[in-house]
Amino acid sequence: MNQSRGSLYLLTGFLLGLGIGLIYSLVIQPVRYTDIAPAMLDPAAKDRYRALIAIAYNADRDLVRARARLALLKDDDPYRSLAEQAQRWLAEGKPFEESRALGLLAISLAQAQATILAPPTSIINSPPKTQSATQASEINPIEITVTPKLTSQLTLTGSEYPNPSQELLSSPSPQVTPTAPLHFQLSKRDSVCDPTIGQNLIQVYTWDATGAELSGVEFIINWQGGENHFFTGLKPEKGKGYADFTMTPGILYTLRLASGGEPVMDLSSPSCTTASGEKYWGILVLEFSPP
Amino acid sequence: MMGLGIAASLAYGWYLAPNQKVNIQPDNLRIDYKSDVVLMVAEAYHADHNLASAITRISLLGNTQPVDTIQKAILFAEQQGYSDLDLQMMRELLAAVQELTPLITTPIP
Repeated sequence: MNQSRGSLYLLTGFLLGLGIGLIYSLVIQPVRYTDIAPAMLDPAAKDRYRALIAIAYNADRDLVRARARLALLKDDDPYRSLAEQAQRWLAEGKPFEESRALGLLAISLAQAQATILAPPTSIINSPPKTQSATQASEINPIEITVTPKLTSQLTLTGSEYPNPSQELLSSPSPQVTPTAPLHFQLSKRDSVCDPTIGQNLIQVYTWDATGAELSGVEFIINWQGGENHFFTGLKPEKGKGYADFTMTPGILYTLRLASGGEPVMDLSSPSCTTASGEKYWGILVLEFSPP
Repeated sequence: MMGLGIAASLAYGWYLAPNQKVNIQPDNLRIDYKSDVVLMVAEAYHADHNLASAITRISLLGNTQPVDTIQKAILFAEQQGYSDLDLQMMRELLAAVQELTPLITTPIP
């Protein structure tokens, strides 16, 4: 009897201690976060931070600095994070300028990456094979481009106080290979009836002359009393050259490339019917490629 | 046993619970990151001169007066040797915000 009472006292003491400790550590003296890094921010704050990076990039076009800042957020895939946030913010009706800035930064990152990964386009102008490797690397624009980016990222994350002015501006500006303005034409227009999609979409695909999907192509869609812009490449899971727009059934749309070209008129949700006679709205698939 | 209970709950409250999802806001950022946020806002302001947007963006860093936030950032930037261009943009932003809120920054005689 006495032994069981003793155990009860011990248990009561333990629970009392547990309660006191919890109140102290969670209410009276909880952990306070100070001097944190951007990677520790909560997701919503990270979104705002990412948007600010994009807005600053939109202002100064300094991709090296933008990449270094994005690295502070420690996203697994900064391009995907930017693209997804741009889409999400557009859908949520956040300020268009900010969604656009996010999209543009995503595209710039993708283009810079493509420039790095692309086989050297300077083969025609490349030095004769008799030149030394060192000499060749001085001439090859791709190698010149990559090194400062990596250096600046490492310097920034490794220093106690990252100083964007010294460490980032001292490095050369990003050398994204300028691409000549591309001209596209509508190469295919299809209506697709697929009840599993569940959205009245205009799906756009863009390819370059080599057949590679092309991101960053801006489209302008108009309807009576409205206009919207969208870019390819912001849904990377569907392909770099992919973009879509949700239509309202019964409204006629006109789609054109922001860079110019023939507008595609009278676009509307195609009417489809299931085997059981049920009606639903299909999707439009438009493909654009150089003439 | 009471001591054991206290120790267990303190360990939970101070070490385990903070690893769970919490809302950490940008006003807790270290001064170098805060200064970079101010610089980003200043870069945007330098390009668009939209003071309302700039003040909204600065408020990301908490409820302190924007002037104070920018001044602290400039002080840090000067100590750390930010480039002249960056400092110039930050001072441009400070001047614009001060102009908007003269009562806050002008000492009362």
